[in-house]
Amino acid sequence: MTNTYILNATWVLDGKPYDFCLGQDSDTACELDGICLPGIERIAPAGELEIPAGAPRVHDAAGKILMPALFDMHASIEIDGRSKRECVSRAGQAAIAGGVWGMLVMPTPGFCFDNAATLDSFHDAVTQRSAAEMLPAGCISEGMKGEQQAPYNTLAARGVSILSDGKNPPSNLLMLHRAMKYASEIGMTFALRGDVPALTANTCIHPGTTSYKLGLHGTPPCAEEIGIDTALRLAADAGAKVHVQTVSTAGGVDIIRRAKAAGQQVTAEVALHHLLFTHENVGIYDTTYKTLPPLRETSDCEALLEGLKDGTIDCIVSDHTPCTPFAKKQDFTSAPQGMIALDTFLQAIYTHLIKPGKLSWADVVRTCCINPVSIANPVDLEEDVPTAAPLLLFNPENGVEVGGDTLPSGTLNTPFLGTKLQGCITLPLQ
Amino acid sequence: MKPRKDLLTIGDLSDEDINTILDSATAMKDIFTKSVKKVPALKGKSVLTLFYEPSTRTRSSFEVAAHRLSADVTTFTVSTSSVVKGESVHDTIDTLMSMKMDYIIVRHKNSGIPAVIARHCKAAVINAGDGAHAHPSQAFLDAFTIREKYGTVAGKRVVIIGDILHSRVARSTSTILKRLGAEVAYMGPGPLVPPQAYTGIPRFSNWDDVFEWKPDVIYLLRVQNERIDSPFFPAKDYHQAFGVTDERLRRIDDLNLSIMHPGPVNRGVELCDAAMDYRNSLICNQVENGIAARMSILYHLTPQTQNND
Repeated sequence: MTNTYILNATWVLDGKPYDFCLGQDSDTACELDGICLPGIERIAPAGELEIPAGAPRVHDAAGKILMPALFDMHASIEIDGRSKRECVSRAGQAAIAGGVWGMLVMPTPGFCFDNAATLDSFHDAVTQRSAAEMLPAGCISEGMKGEQQAPYNTLAARGVSILSDGKNPPSNLLMLHRAMKYASEIGMTFALRGDVPALTANTCIHPGTTSYKLGLHGTPPCAEEIGIDTALRLAADAGAKVHVQTVSTAGGVDIIRRAKAAGQQVTAEVALHHLLFTHENVGIYDTTYKTLPPLRETSDCEALLEGLKDGTIDCIVSDHTPCTPFAKKQDFTSAPQGMIALDTFLQAIYTHLIKPGKLSWADVVRTCCINPVSIANPVDLEEDVPTAAPLLLFNPENGVEVGGDTLPSGTLNTPFLGTKLQGCITLPLQ
Repeated sequence: MKPRKDLLTIGDLSDEDINTILDSATAMKDIFTKSVKKVPALKGKSVLTLFYEPSTRTRSSFEVAAHRLSADVTTFTVSTSSVVKGESVHDTIDTLMSMKMDYIIVRHKNSGIPAVIARHCKAAVINAGDGAHAHPSQAFLDAFTIREKYGTVAGKRVVIIGDILHSRVARSTSTILKRLGAEVAYMGPGPLVPPQAYTGIPRFSNWDDVFEWKPDVIYLLRVQNERIDSPFFPAKDYHQAFGVTDERLRRIDDLNLSIMHPGPVNRGVELCDAAMDYRNSLICNQVENGIAARMSILYHLTPQTQNND
């Protein structure tokens, strides 16, 4: 086995070209701008790295960007009609295709992470089938029913450090308050979406011109704001860490900003689609754009971007949710919520956020690589050491038209279907 | 009018489409006055009424319209079909299309279902009401009724009163009236009237403002208790606050305004008893014109099933 030389690659943070020597020893690592580069033995400014004569693995990476792979704090992988192993396998392939090396998998009815057996079989499936790392988010309540706390010590013993009841955060505030008091003492973080079910029942779209035109009931932004505020107040009282999931409203960003300013232990995420699309994209009942929470106004997109830049929002997440074509062919009220996003994650971020100048590469590294890893804290269970993000090469010059054959998820519920996204990813580097 | 397969919303139609259908409705209504009330326009064609929601008036109106055009009409009874066993809309439509239907008239509680069906089949699909989205045949009969009464719709002022939020009638009728040059306003209980920023339609909250606006037509909507999951307003106050009371009826009479209602009427809620016999009530005209409008709609749609003949 020989070393691999990657020459003239642009380092994502300073935009300068470097030569990298990728060794064979998995424990080797260098550091650049405070970021650990696992597997890299040596780094030198471009043209200055000594390469042994006749080295067989030398790649010219001029024009390509070298960066840590992304970590996604929010993915659901279950899909009707597929075995759990296939769900794991396809989500793993989708992640790698989108530049994502690891993800936090949300509990769903089929992956109900509230017991040791489910976690063990999931861990086995990931080890055997997945190209990407997958951390399970443990359930807050047994069966995600919001009634009885899940066995947190059992979950913690299997590496769970984040708790969530998936798409339906507990509405029983007494149960949640007690869960926070208990689980915060064993280092758990509560991942919660802002919601007030009484205000959002039977709704499926942001209230506005589109909801009126289509005759659909609107999900008021205040439901998210009240939900976030409630979760933060409970957590402050219980001394628990909270991670606010899929913030979609400007009001939600403001509440989190104030909580952070007051010193509360809170982190927050925004789904990529809430940065890129509005309720007007729903057009005439396009179920691709049915999400939870719903797509909001342009002013919300702008507030979320601002929140990302000023550090109020810590991460961009995929909120990856595969749905069968049949499910999305139903009417808007009946169709399931969600888009797939892992398959095209970094390409979409580059094409729609970096290229137009809305975010810098440094913003993306911070919100998609560094922050998610520090919140989810992926640990190698066998070795009990933190897992470092592998590196990837991103070629911004190449692009691909998104179609069924470019989507390893095997479903088509992406708004990018038929459009061209810039970026070609090499992950892992060899 | 260019060949058109479906009628899903008023917004899909051109001005020419709207005027053609309205003009033909006049001719269709003339047929009623003859001793033989039938023409052979749709002879040999199959019309299916597929109502996932209870309906007597709209369904009967469509059935009478289809019969008067000599079509064969089949009624699909949802409550005794496989739908109650969990069959999806797509599978139901596949089954029905195997029976070679030319026209499907559909009503469903979910907005957008007729569009799903229209994309899925070659039959002409007529939306007979989907959720709070659209009810285009009601819009045509309302516009036709106002045109018949006043000679034109343009320049008339129509205030639609009641539960706008849940009303497909409000959406479709306001759209067609505005397209024909009328002015439309909404009035009703706060939580049931969306903001003007969403609708583009002026919004009043009381009768004084309505009278001050000088409307020609008072269009009352039914309070749709079946669509209301939890209370939107204090029910006991509705008639006094938003209904046509005896006192308001006198004022309406003095001003010579017309009253319309899509039916069925909740007496003592939207309208006092006396309003039902009011000289300028157009409610019965609406029912009669509904058949003419629906005949015209059926006549002007072009199913793609002919290609397979």
